[in-house]
Amino acid sequence: MKTDLKQSPTEDNLPSGPAYWRSLDEWAEKPEFKNWLHREFPQGASESEGVNRRNFFKIMAASFAVAGLGAAGCRRPEHYILPYHKQPEGTIPGNPVFFSTSFPGAKDNLPLVVETHGHRPTHIEGNRDYAPYGGSISAFVSASILNLYDPDRMAASYRGSRRISRERVRDLINELVDTFGATGGQGLAILAEPSTSPTRARLVRQLKEKFPRMIWAEYSAVDQDNPERAAEEVFGARLRPHYSLAKAKRVLSLDADFVSSEPGSNAMARGFAQGRKVRNQADAGQMSRLYSVESNMTLTGSMADHRLRLSSSQITAFTALVAAKVIEATGGDAALARFLRDRASGLSIDQTWIDACVEDLLEHRGQSLVIAGSHLPKEAHVLSLFINRLLGAEGQTVRYLELPDHSAASITELASAIDSGRVESLVILGGNPVYNAPADLNWKQLQKQVSQVIRYGYYFDETSIDAHYSIAATHYLESWSDGRTFEGAYVPVQPMILPLFEGFQEIEILSRLADSDKHDTYDHVLETFRSEFGGSEAGFKKLLSEGFLAGSEYPPRSVEFGAGRVRSLLSRSSIAAAELNANALEVRLVPDSHSGDGSFNNNGWMQECPDPVTKLTWDNAIMISPAMAKHLGFDTKSGEFLIGGIAKTSSNFHRGSEISRVAELTIDGVTVTGPIHIQPGLADWTVVVSLGYGRRNVGRVGKGTGFDVYPLVKSDARAVRTGGRLSLTNREFKLANTQAHWSIEGRAILREGSASQHLEDSEWAQKMGMESHSPPIYGTDKDMPLHEKVLKTPRGGSAFDHPDFADPAPNVRVWNDPENRKKFIPDQQWGMSIDLNTCIGCNACVVACQSENNIPIVGKEQIMRGREMHWIRLDRYYSSGDVESNRNEIPSDPQVSLMPVGCLHCERAPCEQVCPVNATVHDSQGLNVMAYNRCVGTRYCANNCPYKVRRFNFFDYNKRSSDEFYKGPLGENLYKTEGGQLVSMQRNPNVTVRMRGVMEKCTYCVQRIQQARIAQKVKAKDSNDIHIPDGVLRVACQNACPTEAIVFGDVSNPESAVSKSKDNDRDYSLLGYLNTRPRTTYLARVRNPNPQMPDYERIRYPHTQREYKSVQPQPINGGHSAHH
Amino acid sequence: MANLFPKRSNAVPLKLIIALLILGVSAVAAVTYYFTPKYTRVGYMPTQPVPYDHYLHVEQLGLDCRFCHSYVDQSAHANVPDAATCMNCHSQVKSDSPLLAEVRSSYESGEAIEWVRVHKMPDHVFFDHSVHVNRGVSCVECHGNVNEMVEVWHDQPLSMAFCLDCHRAPETGIRPMDQVYNLNWTPENAAEHAKWAEEAVVNWNVNPPQSCSGCHR
Repeated sequence: MKTDLKQSPTEDNLPSGPAYWRSLDEWAEKPEFKNWLHREFPQGASESEGVNRRNFFKIMAASFAVAGLGAAGCRRPEHYILPYHKQPEGTIPGNPVFFSTSFPGAKDNLPLVVETHGHRPTHIEGNRDYAPYGGSISAFVSASILNLYDPDRMAASYRGSRRISRERVRDLINELVDTFGATGGQGLAILAEPSTSPTRARLVRQLKEKFPRMIWAEYSAVDQDNPERAAEEVFGARLRPHYSLAKAKRVLSLDADFVSSEPGSNAMARGFAQGRKVRNQADAGQMSRLYSVESNMTLTGSMADHRLRLSSSQITAFTALVAAKVIEATGGDAALARFLRDRASGLSIDQTWIDACVEDLLEHRGQSLVIAGSHLPKEAHVLSLFINRLLGAEGQTVRYLELPDHSAASITELASAIDSGRVESLVILGGNPVYNAPADLNWKQLQKQVSQVIRYGYYFDETSIDAHYSIAATHYLESWSDGRTFEGAYVPVQPMILPLFEGFQEIEILSRLADSDKHDTYDHVLETFRSEFGGSEAGFKKLLSEGFLAGSEYPPRSVEFGAGRVRSLLSRSSIAAAELNANALEVRLVPDSHSGDGSFNNNGWMQECPDPVTKLTWDNAIMISPAMAKHLGFDTKSGEFLIGGIAKTSSNFHRGSEISRVAELTIDGVTVTGPIHIQPGLADWTVVVSLGYGRRNVGRVGKGTGFDVYPLVKSDARAVRTGGRLSLTNREFKLANTQAHWSIEGRAILREGSASQHLEDSEWAQKMGMESHSPPIYGTDKDMPLHEKVLKTPRGGSAFDHPDFADPAPNVRVWNDPENRKKFIPDQQWGMSIDLNTCIGCNACVVACQSENNIPIVGKEQIMRGREMHWIRLDRYYSSGDVESNRNEIPSDPQVSLMPVGCLHCERAPCEQVCPVNATVHDSQGLNVMAYNRCVGTRYCANNCPYKVRRFNFFDYNKRSSDEFYKGPLGENLYKTEGGQLVSMQRNPNVTVRMRGVMEKCTYCVQRIQQARIAQKVKAKDSNDIHIPDGVLRVACQNACPTEAIVFGDVSNPESAVSKSKDNDRDYSLLGYLNTRPRTTYLARVRNPNPQMPDYERIRYPHTQREYKSVQPQPINGGHSAHH
Repeated sequence: MANLFPKRSNAVPLKLIIALLILGVSAVAAVTYYFTPKYTRVGYMPTQPVPYDHYLHVEQLGLDCRFCHSYVDQSAHANVPDAATCMNCHSQVKSDSPLLAEVRSSYESGEAIEWVRVHKMPDHVFFDHSVHVNRGVSCVECHGNVNEMVEVWHDQPLSMAFCLDCHRAPETGIRPMDQVYNLNWTPENAAEHAKWAEEAVVNWNVNPPQSCSGCHR
C-alpha cells in the first residue's frame, strides 16, 4: 500500500514539503531519505541472507540433537529460597524500601528518594516533599545509579598498577599525617572537587588547623562561579544570586541556559514553567515572557519568545547596552549610561530590540529579571546585578543568599606552587585534572614533578595513571555525607547499600588526614548536624526520613550598591565586543549533554540519550552555524546544502548514521579534530564544541567516543575562546544521530499558537489538523469536547460499536446478572496529558523511563541502524515559517519545538489489529498492553503504528555485549559474567527483562499501576473501595519531569488532575484524523511574543503555525483564514 | 512378469494411515497429559533440608499460617520464615534436636537455610499473595491442605488456565475474610455459601483481571 503522508490529500503538485523537518536531509527531500522513511526498520531486517535448504537442515538437525539431550534433563531444576537468618527491621521481602539521600553537586545537592529492592538501589527519583524542586531530577541524576554498578569502576586501591589492601591505604594516610604533622603541612597540597557538604567543610577546617601551611585547592572542570565572584566584588561578601522564576513575568536571559545547565536549574525550570501554565483562556494573558540572547542553540533558547543570536564574547557589551538603556529609562546616572555605551561601542545590534525589551522589563518592574550565564565574565554579572536592582527585582524575583565562609586556592595557584617545587605530596580528591585541567597549566607534566601523588577517585582514569597511589572511592549511594541544595537547605547523603568494592568514603579519607579521634562517617555527619544545625540524634533520624531540613536555607541578605560601584568595577576591564568573522571564530566550550565534564563518559544511558537539540548520541561534534557552513564551501542553497560535509548528490544520511566531514579547529596553534554538525540557530561566527569526550583512559562504554576539546580550555578563558579557525579535511566520520528516525512529515503534529491568538480564540488548536475538517470521524458526536471523546469512545452514529473497556468481562457469570451489573464499579481508565508549553526537552523523562523499565542500551552501531530502544523519545522540530524557503535554504534562525512521544495508548490501536498472535491487546483499564511471551516478532505492529513508538529487540541487548550481538549464542552470556551480573543488579524486579525477538514499548508503567491497584485492594479488603485515589499513582517520566509537563491519571474521573488538564482548549490528539483516539493527548504550545519587538511581525504567529497554514489548499469551514 | 508386490501390499497404505493416525493421536494425547503443569508440577515433593512438619505445627500445635509466613498479607512474596522465627520456640523446645541442627547453625552463622522451592511461577508471571488473601481467597485454593502435609508437595497445577478458571468465576474462590487462613473451613451449607459468595463478589466489587496486564508486566 502506498503510504501517503502528505497533509493535503488531493494535490501532488502543491507544495508537498514537510513544514517541520527533523534533519536537514529530510528537509532536502533526498530520495534515499524518502525511501528510508517509509521503512520502519531498515537494514537487514526483512531480508535474511544466505538461508537455503542446506543451511536450514543443518540448523534443524542441530536443534533436534539439542532437544534430545534436553529430554533427559527435563525435570525441573531445584530452586532454593534463602530466607534471612534474622530478618532486619523494616524490610518485607518482595516490597521495595525507599531511602532519602541527595545527589552531590558542586553547588547543589539534589534531594532524592531512592528505591531499593532486596537492598539493591534500582531507581532514583526526586524528593517531592522538597518544594523548590518538587521531586524533579535531571537525566544525569537518574543515570548516576548506573555508575554504581559500572563494572569498570575501581574495585580496589592500587600502588601504581599493584593492588593494595585497605589497611595499606590507611597506613599510607597515617604516614602522610606523620610526615606533615612535623612541618605544619608544609609541602602538602590537596586538590578537591567543590562540594556543598558542611561535614566536609568542617573537616577541611580541622585539617587547615592541623596543617596551617597546607594548600587546599578546589577545581571544577566547568566553572560556574562567576555570579558569586561578581557578587563578592560588588557587595564584598559571599552572596549567591538566587532567582525566583515563578514570580517573574518578564525574563531576559543573557546566554544563560537556566532551564537545564545552570546551577540550580531544576528549581528555575520549575518556576519558569509555573509562569507558563495556561490552564484557561485568561491565563494566556498572564503568561511570562522570555527573551533570550545566546550564541549556542540551548533549551532555554528553544523556550524563548524572542531569541537573539549573538556570540558569547559580545554579550557583555550587549549587557552594557541593556544596562545603559535601563539607566536612561529609569532616569539614573546619565554619565554611567554614556560610559557604558562608550565601552560597548563596536557592537552592531538592532537598538530597537533592546529598547522594546527593556521597556517591557520595566513595565513589569518587580516582576522582571535578568539572568546572565555563569560562564560570562564577571563584568556581565556586575551589570546584570545592577540591571536587576534598577528593575526592582531585588527581594522580589532575585534574592541574595549568604553563603557560609569558605576559602580554597584555585588550581592555577596550586599549579604555580607545584612549579616552584613547594609541593612534595599531592592528594587529589576526585576530579580528573590530567584530563580536564586547563591546557595551559600542562597538568600532566606538573603532576609528574610532585614526588608523591595520591589520587582518590571512582575510576582508574587519566589522573590515576600518573599517580603513585590510587585509592578507590565509593559511590554516593554507598557513602555517608551531607550537602546543601542551591537554596541552602541541609540534605543528607545516606548510603543504602554496603560498598560493593573496597572503596573509601571521602569523609573517611579527610577524617584520617585530619587525624580526628574517630573515623565513622555516620558519626561525622551526625556531629555536623549537632554542631552546625543544633540537631539531636532523634532529629537526625527525622532528617533522614524527611530527606531535608526545613528552614535551613541560606539566609537572604539585602544589599546596597550604586552606580559608582559599577563604574569603578568596570573601568578596570574591557567589555568591548570581540571582532568575529569566519577566520576569527568564537569557540564556545560547553559541558556535554551526555558526559557532562567527562565524568559520565562511561555511562551507557547517558551516551545513548540523544542530545536534546542535535539528537546526536555516543559522540560530540563541532557545531557550526549555517553561515559558517556556507563559508566552508557547503552549498547551503538550492537544495545542495549538506550535513556533515557530503553533497546531496552523494548520500550522506544512511538511516541513523550521519556521515560527516571531519574538520580541524585551531586556536593559537592548538588544534582539535572532530566531525562537523551544522546546527541551525547558532550565532553566525560561533562554533560550539562540548567537553567530556575523547577520554584516553576510560571504561568499555566510553572507549573511543568523541574527541577531546580540553586542549582548547585556558585557565583565563574556560568557556569562551576567540580567534578560532576551522578547516575541513577530506576525512569522513559517521555520527549516530536519532534525529531523522521515525519522522512524521510535517503538518499539525505539533501545534503552536501565540498568547494573543489564544486570548482572541482559545480554540485555535482544535481548528488545526485534518481532523478539524473531517466530520465523519466523530460523526454526530463531533462537538463533544476532546477529553470527553477520549473517555467515552463515542460511536458517532457509526455501525461499529467500540467495546467499552471498563465493562465487566462477558464470561463472568455474576456480572452478567443485570441487577448485579448495576452495582459494578468499572476499572479506572488511565490517560496522560503532556503540556508542550512547559516541556523543556531536558531528557529527564527518557532516562528515568530507562531506569524504571529495564530498557537496554544498544550501542552506536545499532543506533546508526535506527534501533534505539527508548520508550519515550523527544522529537525536536525546526521551523522557519516559510515552507518554500525551507526547501531552498537552511534557516539560520529557526524556532525550535520539542515534543515527547511515547506509546499513546490508542483506544483504537492500529498495532493491535495487525498482530497475528494477539500479543498486543487492550486491557480493562484502557492500556494497550504487550504480552512479551506471546510476541513472535513479526514487527507488523511497529509497521502499523503511525507514531513509530514501538521498539524491537533485534538482538539480546541485555544478554550480549554490543560488539557480540552478531555472534548470537556463540557470544558471551553477560548474565554469567561478573560485570554483567553487576549491571543486572540495577534491574527493576517488577519489569520483565525482554529478550531477543520481542517487541516492546511504553506500558504506562503498568507495574506501578498494578502495584497501586493491589495496594488499594489490600486496603479495601471486604469493601468496594477499589479505586486508587488521584495522585497516589505516578509514573516514572511524570516524577522526573522538572516542569510537571506530564500528568497521568484516571481519565474516567472528571475530578482527576489529568482530566482537568485535558479539559483545556489546547488539548489535541496527535494525528487525530486517523481516529486512533490516543489516551495520551497534548496541550498545544503557546508562544508569547511582544508586539513592540522589531521581529514581531515575523513571529507574530509561531513559525510552525504559519507553515501549517501555508500548505493548506484553501480555508475549509472558514475556520483558518480568520487567523491570518 | 510376476507381480512385484504381493496382493497384501494393497493394504499397506491403509495400515500406514491408521498407524500414523494412532501415532498422531497418542502423541497429542501424551503431550496434553504429560507436558502440562498438571502432570509436571502436581505432586512435586522435594526433600527439604529441615524436615519441617506442617501437620504437626498447624494441626496439632495450632499455629496460624502468618506466624511464619508473616508478610503474606503485605507483600507479593509470601516469605519463608527466618531462622530467628524458628528459634523463638526452638531455643526452648527441642533445643538440641539433631533435626534442627541446620536451623541453629543458620541462626548462629548467618548462612541461609536452603529451602527447596516447591511452587515456582515462571519469570514473566507476577503473582501477588497480598491481594488474594486480603480479598477472601484462602491459601488452600492454590496450595491445597498444607496443614495436613508432613512434607509439602505441589497440590495444584498453577497453570494459566488454573488461574483463569478462578478469575472467570470469582465466586468459586472466595470465602469469609475471617476464614482465609483456616484451611479446614468448609461451608456448612453449600447453597447458602454460593449465595453469599455471589453477594460478596458484587458488594466487594470483585473483578479479577483477565487482561494480560493483570499478571504480566
